[in-house]
Amino acid sequence: MMLLPCPWCGPRNATEFRFGGEAGRRPDPASASPEEWRRYLYFHTNPAGWSTETWYHGAGCRRFLTVERHTVTHEVRAARDTATGTTGEGIS
Amino acid sequence: MSILPTTRRTATPTSQRLGHRAGEVIDRSRTVSFTWNGRPLSGHPGDTIASALAAAGERVLSRSYKYHRPRGLLTADYLDPGAFFQVGDEPNVRGAHRLLEAGMAVSSQNTWPSLRFDLKAANGLAGRFLATGFYYKTFIKPEPLWPLYEKVLRTFVHAGAITPDPGAAYYDKRHAHPDVVVAGGGPAGMAAAVAAARAGASVMLVEEDHQLGGHLRWGDGAALARLRALRAQVAAQPGIEVLTDAVVTGRFDDNWIPIVARSLPGITERLVKARAAVLVVAPGLIERPYVFAGNDLPGVMLSTAARRLVNLYAVRPGSRAVVMSANPEGDAAVADLEAAGVEVAAVLDARRQQGVARAHGRGGLRAVETTDGRRIEADLLVTATGWTAPTSLLNQSGDRPVYDQAAARFVPDPDRMPANVLAAGGIVGDGTVDQLVEQADAVGREAARRATGGSAAGTVPGLRPAPHPELFAAGTGGFVDLCEDVSAKDITTAVAEGYDSVELAKRYTTVTMGPTQGKLETVNAVALVAHATGRSIAETGTTTWRPVYAPVTLGALAGRPREPVRYSPMQPWHERHGATPLVAGQWIRPEHYGDPAAEVTAVRTAVGIIDVTPIGKLDLRGPDVAELLNLLYVNKWSKLGVGRVRYGVMCADDGVVLDDGVTGRLGEDHYLMSTTSSGAATVWEWVENWLQTAHPEWQVHVTPVTTAYASINIAGPRSRDLLSRLTDPEDVDLSADAFGYMNVRTGTVAGVADCVLWRIGFTGELSYEIHVPASYGLHAWERLVAEGADLGVRPFGVEAQRILRLEKGHAIVAQDTDGLTQGFSAALDGLIKLDKDDFVGLPELRWQQGRDSHPRLVGLQPLDGTVVPPEASQILRTDGSIAGRVTSSRMSPTLGRAIGLAQIDPELAEVGTRVTVRLPDGRDVAAEVTGLVHVDPEGERQRV
Amino acid sequence: MSGGNGNGRPEKLRGYSAWSLLRRGLTHEDWPRAWREHELRSSYDAVIIGGGVHGLATAYYLARDHGMRNIAVLEKAYVGGGGSGRNTAILRSNYLTPEGVRFYDRSVKLYEHLAADLNFNVMFSQRGHLTLAHNDASLRTMHWRTEVNKLQDVDSEVIGPDRIAELVPYLDVSDETRYPILGALYHPPGGIVRHDAVVWGYARGADVHGAHIHQQTEVTGIDVSGGRVTGVQTNRGRIATPVVLNATAGWSSLISDMAGVAMPVQTSPLQAAVTEPVRPFLDTVVVSGTLHVYVSQTDRGELVFGASVDPFASYSMRGSLEFTEGIAGHVLELMPALHRMRLLRQWSGLCDMTPDYSPIMGPTPVEGFYVDVGWGTYGFKAGPVSGEAMAACLATGKPPEIISSFGLDRFLSGRLVGEKGAAAVGH
Repeated sequence: MMLLPCPWCGPRNATEFRFGGEAGRRPDPASASPEEWRRYLYFHTNPAGWSTETWYHGAGCRRFLTVERHTVTHEVRAARDTATGTTGEGIS
Repeated sequence: MSILPTTRRTATPTSQRLGHRAGEVIDRSRTVSFTWNGRPLSGHPGDTIASALAAAGERVLSRSYKYHRPRGLLTADYLDPGAFFQVGDEPNVRGAHRLLEAGMAVSSQNTWPSLRFDLKAANGLAGRFLATGFYYKTFIKPEPLWPLYEKVLRTFVHAGAITPDPGAAYYDKRHAHPDVVVAGGGPAGMAAAVAAARAGASVMLVEEDHQLGGHLRWGDGAALARLRALRAQVAAQPGIEVLTDAVVTGRFDDNWIPIVARSLPGITERLVKARAAVLVVAPGLIERPYVFAGNDLPGVMLSTAARRLVNLYAVRPGSRAVVMSANPEGDAAVADLEAAGVEVAAVLDARRQQGVARAHGRGGLRAVETTDGRRIEADLLVTATGWTAPTSLLNQSGDRPVYDQAAARFVPDPDRMPANVLAAGGIVGDGTVDQLVEQADAVGREAARRATGGSAAGTVPGLRPAPHPELFAAGTGGFVDLCEDVSAKDITTAVAEGYDSVELAKRYTTVTMGPTQGKLETVNAVALVAHATGRSIAETGTTTWRPVYAPVTLGALAGRPREPVRYSPMQPWHERHGATPLVAGQWIRPEHYGDPAAEVTAVRTAVGIIDVTPIGKLDLRGPDVAELLNLLYVNKWSKLGVGRVRYGVMCADDGVVLDDGVTGRLGEDHYLMSTTSSGAATVWEWVENWLQTAHPEWQVHVTPVTTAYASINIAGPRSRDLLSRLTDPEDVDLSADAFGYMNVRTGTVAGVADCVLWRIGFTGELSYEIHVPASYGLHAWERLVAEGADLGVRPFGVEAQRILRLEKGHAIVAQDTDGLTQGFSAALDGLIKLDKDDFVGLPELRWQQGRDSHPRLVGLQPLDGTVVPPEASQILRTDGSIAGRVTSSRMSPTLGRAIGLAQIDPELAEVGTRVTVRLPDGRDVAAEVTGLVHVDPEGERQRV
Repeated sequence: MSGGNGNGRPEKLRGYSAWSLLRRGLTHEDWPRAWREHELRSSYDAVIIGGGVHGLATAYYLARDHGMRNIAVLEKAYVGGGGSGRNTAILRSNYLTPEGVRFYDRSVKLYEHLAADLNFNVMFSQRGHLTLAHNDASLRTMHWRTEVNKLQDVDSEVIGPDRIAELVPYLDVSDETRYPILGALYHPPGGIVRHDAVVWGYARGADVHGAHIHQQTEVTGIDVSGGRVTGVQTNRGRIATPVVLNATAGWSSLISDMAGVAMPVQTSPLQAAVTEPVRPFLDTVVVSGTLHVYVSQTDRGELVFGASVDPFASYSMRGSLEFTEGIAGHVLELMPALHRMRLLRQWSGLCDMTPDYSPIMGPTPVEGFYVDVGWGTYGFKAGPVSGEAMAACLATGKPPEIISSFGLDRFLSGRLVGEKGAAAVGH
């Protein structure tokens, strides 16, 4: 399995993580129309290329990460802690 | 040198063992006995099964798949399609690789009734009708006969057999993090490993054969000298770990490299999982068979096979030979045969347009027909017609080999290799041993540099593939795939029928799909497809090389069993007291202690205790916990006071019920949340998700404490009496006024400090759930049992709990709901607060309520109270269509009648509606929709 | 190459039989091409994107039953090169929802007569299909499926460990295992089929009825004008057409994107593996949802293994080590005696997963642009019925009743199909 560069733990086998899908924005529940809400729930871009995704490092630091990953080659070009923005420069 | 003279194959095989050879790997001082099809034979340590058989004069080692043609040795190595054996209870043993062991019971596969007399060989006569794809074209009508035809087809399976109870075997796994993995331990691999290690890299050198050395092992004196020198360098160089009889089976993302290691003491197979910085691929070359009529006869073999037999195993492969040679290795085979006393009747130099047209014989080679029309008596035909680069690991790294017509083979495309993969030696190109070693030395240094970030990049010299005639098939027929019995004609036929790409031809003929994985066959198949289509080999391209590079046992892949099991601290007590175990996800829990109905009655009339340790528990601290709870639960949490407990349900943003449980407020900023047992991990992640991705500004710290506490529910009218014997009223006052329903306290229980007690009512009785620091769980449990003896305390299991909760109409998430059940279909109407500003799932639940067409969760009672409709029984409308299903049902010991819960369409959900339930046995019973709560609907019993 | 036998037209669909095999064996006469090659026309009445079982079956029924013969199937590589040639070829109809059961039951019935219909032996082996239950919850789901199946006249029953052991002697049904086998859903009509043969049979059938099959023809764009489809762009030129069907898997959202239609799918690889052959010992298909594994033994003696889709979005078909480790561990959990069997080959196919584990079939907001996508891990089973239904849909412009639950609009209106419970690993 590919390695994901966790900003806190360094590169780890992807089996330590859980995939959380494409990073999306939750509409305002008070004003969202059914169509807007269900596009948020069910429709994603599903690119064959670079994708911005959420991964949860469940078997490591238990942080949610925002990862830019190529869905064909599995290269990762960026990974940061979703909440803190930490990129973990220097960790390897 | 003792050579036993046999010019013709005789009925009784005679020894073909030669005198001492300089490079031989057998230990003549000892003898190893084994049986071959029940007949006692012997060989020497170092022999493979096949070399021992060849030494004993056995030439027919197996029968082929479709036509049951006799087959002998072809490659005399791991790939040899003629040497697959059953060894004891192990099928498909690679007989030309597996070392002989004393007592082995070796038998040929795919023979009936015997190897020498095989009835299915009659298929050979029918060969013209069994052309490729014949099974697609026949057995079509009459349809009812196909199952019979299929049974017959299955009897042709070409393989060994497994037994239901094979001997014990031990497999394990190992993780490794070498800087460099070198796949292949020939001269290039050894040189690359030494160079990389000298440059400071940690190296794992992996060789598929039993010794390092590759083709040097069966070479001449100079080669053997070189072999000794390289082995000495490897042995002397620190930082190299050598794995022989081991093979790199694949290359996955980021150089995740599985290596299967065999022949380890006490271990059947070990899977080494290496995460290497750099992979050096140095497998050398595989000699390619030549396709011509009769090319599968015993006695037809590759030059490397003949040289292995002669030089490694001191076996004379035949008595009178014809050699077709297109390269120096073929010429060397001539010399080796002559030195072994084999009469070389003719050398056909393919570089001068000489060659084999056909081989003749029955049961073994008798004569060779040349392209210029000569017929030469011979029992051995050796071909040296070219090489295949085993590029599988490179393909898996993203490389796409290109066809080099001048060299007559596919070669790696260096531009398409990722930076962490390099290739060394023969797979790249040809050269003298010095040139191979020089190139590999540079590759090894570069690998170390890339792995360890050392000095500036060096240049890696290339190796040019040497010119070689394009020799694939003579055009006279013959077999392109000996595993699958696919002939050259089959390929041509497939192309003519429209299966004219290499992938379609492969699928239609099954060429390359056998146990040799196409290593011997693919390039010939491509060449035949190219020829048949009129396209070039380069245009035709090759098939995809998929993992695994070499077959690996399921045992090695599985390793030791590693499915985790979780037990509560009270498990020893449960086991001592006859609990029936229930597998509940990772947990093993008591289902009951013998009589679940009596356990229910004990709870309703006296007191029962249940081990509920698997309930998920999260300790939540911080000023914003209430905000979090408000967001995650469908109900309201802002006003929950300290010391209070509340039940809550979580939905996802699609409105589907996710989990439920109670949460108590232990202090101003301190809460304890409980979840379902199966949802513990999910909810923990769910909480973290919303905190980290949606509200990082909230101050909430989450600690999972599921197994930090042992949890016990004490339920029944006497539960207060029982618990009061283990608590101090000064510490925890259990009186109804001081500790009311849906309250939480902390204190000391059974002398154990820091317990959490909450008064809740899943069973509908007065009950307390206590959470005891886990290491005291067994102590607290035993004290409850001891102190409650006179109160009639009784342990109860999951089954009694299910009945108790069903009597109270409490739904179980994922039983009374499913993966699409939204909140209002789970009888949560009173709980869901649509007037909140936000909670997860709010919009969908608002719309669900507005539609009002959703199924409802209702109580259900059959009119005949003695009939319990099994769970999953369907509820039918009068037209027979499905209107719902029974989600839970039991005989209620308390009411003495059947009760249940059901998901049902809204038009039938009104209390009092009569519905029809279809039982699994086909009977219909009438039932009435009721309220959810079957026992004590007012809830008086739990509020005392 | 120009195919065909003289007049360029292959024989009728009755060309294959034991007799013809014998005759050609004696005369050494060559067989005609199974399907022909044609020039790419500049316009077709309908263009089907995807030369797998769905696309080819649609073409076959469209030409045979609806008289639409000026149609083309475009395949970017070779027929059956996608999911149709990469699945584990398990057929069954024991689904959970009434609409699912009815749909797949029709498919199994079409498969039962497909060899005769196509005059091509697809080797449907109705050897029975066992879905094991290792805990109460899955046993309950088995009962649920059984009850729904029985009401639709689909042969299903829940059987106990003793009966399971009779059917599959190699299964460890003792209660000593980590995941004891409590029971199984037994579905006698289920089984396996030769997947490539289904593809080739449909290709041959579609060809006989006039459809053009264009391999090595990749769609690079879809032309939409005024809210309706006008043509497709390919690597071999433009084709004008008023009707386009997206019958791809793995790339279905990318193709739909070309028409400006968003798809609620996530693409993930599904891996499979095959062992070396051994003598036949496993007569049924064995599935365990809890252990994420399904196993069958082909007529060639190989064991074919599959699991659930990789747990993340990916268009990679490189596969993983973890898949083979997991599958081996789980197979040995079920059948410990198999530890000496060797894995020979692993591969992946791409699956388009929808939120409710059900397909998306029918029209889209772009007039003339239809989809038959979102097939997750169960597309091959549905090939014939999908072809039949989509042919009717393309010919009439309206989805037939049997696929009415599977429309794209259900996601925006919130009417999801309820297969999610049972289909997570329901092969």
